[in-house]
Amino acid sequence: MQCAESLRVQAYFDGELDALSAADIERHSETCAECRALLHDLGYVRAALRQDLTYASAPPPALRARILRALDEESSVKGPLRNAARLSGWRPRPFWVGAFSGIGSAAIAAIAFFVLAPPLINPVLDELVSAHVRSLMPDHLIDVVSTDKHTVKPWFAGHTDVSPVVADFDQQGYRLVGGRADYFDRQRAAVVVYRHGSHVINVFSWASDQRSVPENTTRNGYHLAFWKSGNLVYCAVSDTAWDELLGLVRLLQDVSTHDAR
Amino acid sequence: MLPHLDAAYRFARWLSRSGDADDIVQEAILRAFRGFDALRGSDVKAWLLTIVKNCHLTALQQQRRHASVPLPEEHDVQDGRAMIATTPDPESASIRRDEKRTLDRLMSGLPEEHREVLVLRELEEMDYREIAAVTNVPIGTVMSRLARARAALKTRWLKEAEGAPNAVR
Repeated sequence: MQCAESLRVQAYFDGELDALSAADIERHSETCAECRALLHDLGYVRAALRQDLTYASAPPPALRARILRALDEESSVKGPLRNAARLSGWRPRPFWVGAFSGIGSAAIAAIAFFVLAPPLINPVLDELVSAHVRSLMPDHLIDVVSTDKHTVKPWFAGHTDVSPVVADFDQQGYRLVGGRADYFDRQRAAVVVYRHGSHVINVFSWASDQRSVPENTTRNGYHLAFWKSGNLVYCAVSDTAWDELLGLVRLLQDVSTHDAR
Repeated sequence: MLPHLDAAYRFARWLSRSGDADDIVQEAILRAFRGFDALRGSDVKAWLLTIVKNCHLTALQQQRRHASVPLPEEHDVQDGRAMIATTPDPESASIRRDEKRTLDRLMSGLPEEHREVLVLRELEEMDYREIAAVTNVPIGTVMSRLARARAALKTRWLKEAEGAPNAVR
């Protein structure tokens, strides 16, 4: 007989439950031996699959080369439409044709940019929203409480990898309330926290070598506005209206420009 | 370059379990390249794997229609052997290597829909929503399939351990 909670236990194991349900399941598995055993098995299967599966670990180098050549050929053909027969009738060209084809190389660079850049950026979007939501939970919002930029800014020096723009815009309706260190994109990011009316605005900043920043977007009802200054990427996250969020963004950009002079 | 190529290759390989995987991956990446304009803002990996899955299905249909047997490529022969071989080589086989072989074989024996969810969840670390998108089934189905796949793999592993105590320890 399987415990009725087994699917939820699995969802808990897969990190698919919200904090409340997760706590629920943790409490349940303290008393349910079957679910404890299930958690153990799930961990065992995962570890085995991740460590011991060897069958298809990496594509052979020849396949990689073949695909790059195909992309090269594809992109050197002018015009957006190509028929299916062309595709199935694909034949490898001599390597040098690909290697010295300027158009092809440019197209491969485009692939490298478009196919490679978004995966680096997209998880960041989710991380940003999660970090913003996490910050709204009790006692998570602020590490250093201060409305004084001369207190908040030096604090970052010791607690994060970056030193972002910090300024108070109380006059304009964006009150500096403090700062926080957060960890994402594999570094200690700085978060400056503002209050705008009843809304909290988290301004994340982290170092990035990528030339572009993600486009402004909305996830789970939270707006994310991105910009870049020097090698720092900034992202303001809030559930406030777009206009109001962008108002703060403009103020911060002005300060950056002013600082840079 | 092309970091999702690894994921696409693993997925194609576990779906087709044959040398067709190479063609499937190439076709999928070319299709992705042509259709890239259509993608905005959503997850590139899930999108690419969805295309891999579609290419796999198309390849299956074509195979059935032509009833042709694809010629195995060289590394597939080796893979095939690795899949079948259960007796450890007394000279060099460590228990560890043997476990790996066993797991490959057990996994390969699972139904396709089980292999699929296990690869997406455990190897590609995708969440339920992404898996649902790639496999084109509701999230509830993803959850129950995943539960069945995990249980099936565990059961086979236990059976293996009972049947050949020396081989699996």
